[in-house]
Amino acid sequence: MNKVFALTKKELHSYFSSPIAYIILIATLSLFNVLFFMIIDQNREVSLRDIFQVMEFMFIFIIPLLTMKLFAEEKANGTMEFLLTSPLTPTMIVLGKYLSMLIFYSLLIGLTGAYYFIVEYFGEPDPYSILSGYVGIWLEGALFIAIGLLTSSWTRNQIIAAMTSYLLLFFLYFSITFTKYFTGFTENFLIQVSTRTHLDNFATGIITTSDVTYYLTGILLCLVLTRLSIDHKLWQ
Amino acid sequence: MSILTVEHISKSFGTIQAIDNVSFEINQGDIVGFLGKNGAGKTTLMRMITSFLTASSGKIFIDGDDITKHSLVIRQKIGYLPETPPLYPDMTVYQYLTFSAEIKGVSSKKQAVQIAKVLEECGLEHVKLKTISTLSKGYKQRVGIAQAIIHEPKLLILDEPTSGLDPIQIQQVLALINNQREQRTVLMSTHTLPEIEKIAQRIIMIKSGQLVIDQPLDTLLNSQSTPSSLEQIFFDYHQDKTPTQNVSCYS
Repeated sequence: MNKVFALTKKELHSYFSSPIAYIILIATLSLFNVLFFMIIDQNREVSLRDIFQVMEFMFIFIIPLLTMKLFAEEKANGTMEFLLTSPLTPTMIVLGKYLSMLIFYSLLIGLTGAYYFIVEYFGEPDPYSILSGYVGIWLEGALFIAIGLLTSSWTRNQIIAAMTSYLLLFFLYFSITFTKYFTGFTENFLIQVSTRTHLDNFATGIITTSDVTYYLTGILLCLVLTRLSIDHKLWQ
Repeated sequence: MSILTVEHISKSFGTIQAIDNVSFEINQGDIVGFLGKNGAGKTTLMRMITSFLTASSGKIFIDGDDITKHSLVIRQKIGYLPETPPLYPDMTVYQYLTFSAEIKGVSSKKQAVQIAKVLEECGLEHVKLKTISTLSKGYKQRVGIAQAIIHEPKLLILDEPTSGLDPIQIQQVLALINNQREQRTVLMSTHTLPEIEKIAQRIIMIKSGQLVIDQPLDTLLNSQSTPSSLEQIFFDYHQDKTPTQNVSCYS
């Protein structure tokens, strides 16, 4: 595990030693704050349900910007050869990088925790539905990061990595809107594969096994595919 | 005793045969010059030895272990510097060497001692707190060598470590490599032939993916009809003046 943590530390250092991490943190939180106050002002509800849905949509655009460099930059700089000829397994490399992004994302989500205290000041929010909403948005971000990690493992070009992530995330987000054109298996598939189907439950305070399984399976699948991509050097 | 054994290794990329049935052995403590024109297959072969690429056929043994079966153990025994030093420009030299030591399994107790040792050995003490992006090419190359030896590997593989350096930097890097002689075996590809002639004991040369020379340097230089330099021998082989192969040690 020490080697995994060394990789995690290296990744976090690379983000925080440049302005990227700070710009993304400040810009994202500023945007969330504005939207939070707009939603609260308009709805007059002591709930974070709508802000979770806004966060979900915003993360589709933000997370690929964070994940695009994870592998693409290593390949472009020639450091991927350094990692793959060091006594590290591809699994260690994938986990180290994934963990670093998860920590960064958790920090970003954690900083929005103040919203709970703000709505509590104005009324009596249901703490369990807010907690389950945070669990949902955290799992959703964890899935988005795993997808970003996978697309970054396919190419040495960061722009291509980000664009491919956008394609996959748009599909997962918008698939539910196309259900009216389909019936039967396809309709059911589009409903089940959509992130909106699963986050809605969390945002309303319901944590179901099927929703948790959806996110965990998606994360695991992406990590396994990333490992295979690294192992077989698919970008070459 | 043999530290590296390459047995009938071939590698093809689609229809291109990059390496064609190459075999040789390298003994412990040797500095071996690995020669060949650009595109001859040197980097491909080095990448197979470091298990970055897998061979289409044949076997490679390092310290007696098959690299396909004991990949992790073997990578612990190898230090590798690719042609472009694999550096993280936003790290300081010290941070980079700490990271290298951590991923190469140097225990936390030994890390500080080991880093101090390679900083001194590679002449990097006075730049250890500098960001890598601010260093000259010669220093970057030394940092690359420092990461390759931080875990005290038995076999050091260097892919054109003097490429793009000025004459003074070449001397410094070669002196650093020469100092490794007592601690480890070195396999280095290079185009600076007069310089490798000063430090290598053995020469391996490939041409179009095939082994054409595998001899001790002295034997190779003395085997010519007229006194010759390594540079002249290299030219002769690549101008097809002496097509006879000089593969004496391994078959």
